[in-house]
Amino acid sequence: MKVLIQTDRLSKYYGKGGEIKAVDNLDLEVYEGETFGLLGPNGAGKTTAIRLLNCIIKPTSGTARVMGHDILDDDLEVKRVTGLLTESPGLYEKLSAYEFLEFMGALYDVPEDILPRRIEELLKLFGLQKRRDYLLEGYSRGMKQRILIASALIHDPPILFLDEPTSTLDPRAALMVKNLVRKLAEDAGKTIFICSHILPVVEELCDRIGIINKGRLVALGTVDSIKKQTRKDTLEDAFIAITGGVRKKELLSWREQRGTSA
Amino acid sequence: MRKWLVIARNEYRILTNSIRRIRRYFPILAILLLVFLVGFLAPLMAGWIYGLLHDEFLAFFVSIAAMGTMQLVLFMFFFLFITYPVNSSLKDVRTEEYEIFLSAPVKPSDVLLGKFMGILPLYAIAIAAITGFFTAFLIPLGIGVIETIIIIAVFVLTFLSAIWIGTLIAAILRSRLGRTSRGKDIGKALPLIIVLPIIALMYALMGGGLTQALSDPGTSGTVQTIMNIFPSSWGAGIMTLFAHAAINSIGVPNLWFEVLIRFGGLVLFFLGTLWLGERVASRAYSLEAMSFTASKAKPDGTFYRTVRSIGGGRSFGTLLVSIFKDYGRRFENLSKIIYVVGLLILVSVFFGMDRSEPGSALVMGLFIFPFLAAFVVGEVTVRGKESLFLYRKAPGGEGRLVKARLLQSCLVVFPIAMVYSILSLILVQNITILDVLIFTGLLLLIVTGFVAFSLGLFLLMPVFTDKPAELMGNVMIVMITSIVVFVVSFVLIKDFLGSLLLFTAIVWMLGTAFLYMGKMNLSRIE
Repeated sequence: MKVLIQTDRLSKYYGKGGEIKAVDNLDLEVYEGETFGLLGPNGAGKTTAIRLLNCIIKPTSGTARVMGHDILDDDLEVKRVTGLLTESPGLYEKLSAYEFLEFMGALYDVPEDILPRRIEELLKLFGLQKRRDYLLEGYSRGMKQRILIASALIHDPPILFLDEPTSTLDPRAALMVKNLVRKLAEDAGKTIFICSHILPVVEELCDRIGIINKGRLVALGTVDSIKKQTRKDTLEDAFIAITGGVRKKELLSWREQRGTSA
Repeated sequence: MRKWLVIARNEYRILTNSIRRIRRYFPILAILLLVFLVGFLAPLMAGWIYGLLHDEFLAFFVSIAAMGTMQLVLFMFFFLFITYPVNSSLKDVRTEEYEIFLSAPVKPSDVLLGKFMGILPLYAIAIAAITGFFTAFLIPLGIGVIETIIIIAVFVLTFLSAIWIGTLIAAILRSRLGRTSRGKDIGKALPLIIVLPIIALMYALMGGGLTQALSDPGTSGTVQTIMNIFPSSWGAGIMTLFAHAAINSIGVPNLWFEVLIRFGGLVLFFLGTLWLGERVASRAYSLEAMSFTASKAKPDGTFYRTVRSIGGGRSFGTLLVSIFKDYGRRFENLSKIIYVVGLLILVSVFFGMDRSEPGSALVMGLFIFPFLAAFVVGEVTVRGKESLFLYRKAPGGEGRLVKARLLQSCLVVFPIAMVYSILSLILVQNITILDVLIFTGLLLLIVTGFVAFSLGLFLLMPVFTDKPAELMGNVMIVMITSIVVFVVSFVLIKDFLGSLLLFTAIVWMLGTAFLYMGKMNLSRIE
């Protein structure tokens, strides 16, 4: 299988002497047409990894190739072949949905004869056609998320990076996004890189997963293989076994102080 | 379409969002307005003023003060055009937008150029109006066509340079400050601090100190030499030279050589700023983390222990300290205090005060401290309804919030009022310690009344955002109230001390009434 994303000891350190290792020697391969999930607790380095792979920030050491383009030397091409849905996205709230998609299309060089039709199709797909001329400031969180996914798709990139794609959505919108991701992978042959800490979403959608903790990739494989490696029945238990968590007996320890009353 | 043009169009769309219905006709309307302003109103005003002050104008342009004054006036505009984009950007310091640009195949220099070109149409209106008015006043002096064209070019180059610098600084600050909460807080604090130097300059011109310095042959040269550092001064020099040459029949020696040097310098400066912007754009639009150091709270020191004691210790003392900490750890709040104190100092320095009796020495404080009280108290609702609901949920929470906020605001304003009062009163001739104590006490009573009035007002008419425009609505009400009460008191009682006592009584009545109504409203807010 063709490798579309390949990282080579990719690292990003912060602080004096690089004591904060946001991403530490990440070696990873993502294949064409695959849906890959990067799992990890908050602050594990998922978003930093996505930012590095999209050339938003530069690595401290190591590099990566995205569809054959090096993230250090060929950033404009990397950006052209990827679509990104960020975790805390910037939206121009004073633009209408149509205007925002038009702007994003122009930024990604979508030809002018194709752009209007594509916007209409995407708005239809995401059920926002009737609200196309409303300003984004009046949209609900879920609607904004749908517009952002549409904007990530506007230039029809072969690789999609989705950072927490369903975390702000209601169950119906989340289901729509999940179905869309599945369709994009199966029917349109897209390579999808999902970052999330919502385990069922990753379990449901991803062909393979990687677990990142404190910047290091600590597990890699299919969901079943990771469960097997950790000898756990569920991905949740496997995840906790790998990344750590609070022990059950500690949960009510705060009540054990005697002689005090509220 | 070029990328910078895409970004410029987008920026223009956002800026003209509030007039989207007439956006299509906006350029035509703007041009018509400018034709009216520059082609009709400006020459009309210039003609009218010349009719009244013809000799004074001629005398001014041949005087020693002309060059320095023009330098300062142009510098003020130059400074405003730099700070306006910075201040607009700092109102909402967020970097999420940068992620859009940085993840797209766009060069940072295109983003900067696009942002600049996007805001330019709106600034162009201001540039055209200022240029038009200045030119309209200079033409009647007998300035020729070529000179007029050069003057227009001077204005355009000076202001375009300023806007470009402002756009660049705004991008850098946003990128640096928007990545951390502390940075965002500093971003909100900066706009108020930035305007203080220009206010100082205005007060210096209005209050007479600077005008006198410019008219004095000894100091005028020094001011001009200092001002020549700024490119705005080079253009101001050209205008003054042209005006001088037109009025003075002998002419100005080496006029065109000086004009060439100054204008050439201005062109080089403009090109230099463009080059610099292109070079540093990638640093201006960056999401690389600057710092991973999170702010850490220190253990309570003497100050907070004292505040806790003032609050009577126990749970109310803890509540008071918590409110104080949240208030004091925001640069935004501190900047408001610095701004008001700065105003107080500037007014005292440049306008002086009547120090014949203690009451009149404190008059300025009667107008400035209500302003400070409103700024300090305004914090009560700006964190949103949810922060108020915390108190609503707690048993007896509303009453405790009002009490704690009242006490906390007084603790912030009192020391400033005391220092101001003592410094103002000790300069009064034949003042006694008793007078100082009485008048300081009276000022503190007035300040307390205004704190209560402001708190009541903000609870009655809550401002749930930290947008300055909304906050200023309530601040203006407090200000106007202080002026009205002052006038009423001094009309009713002629004696200074008596009217000051009446002023205090009215402010206290208003404070009590508004505080009661505000507290009632607090339990109704939904």
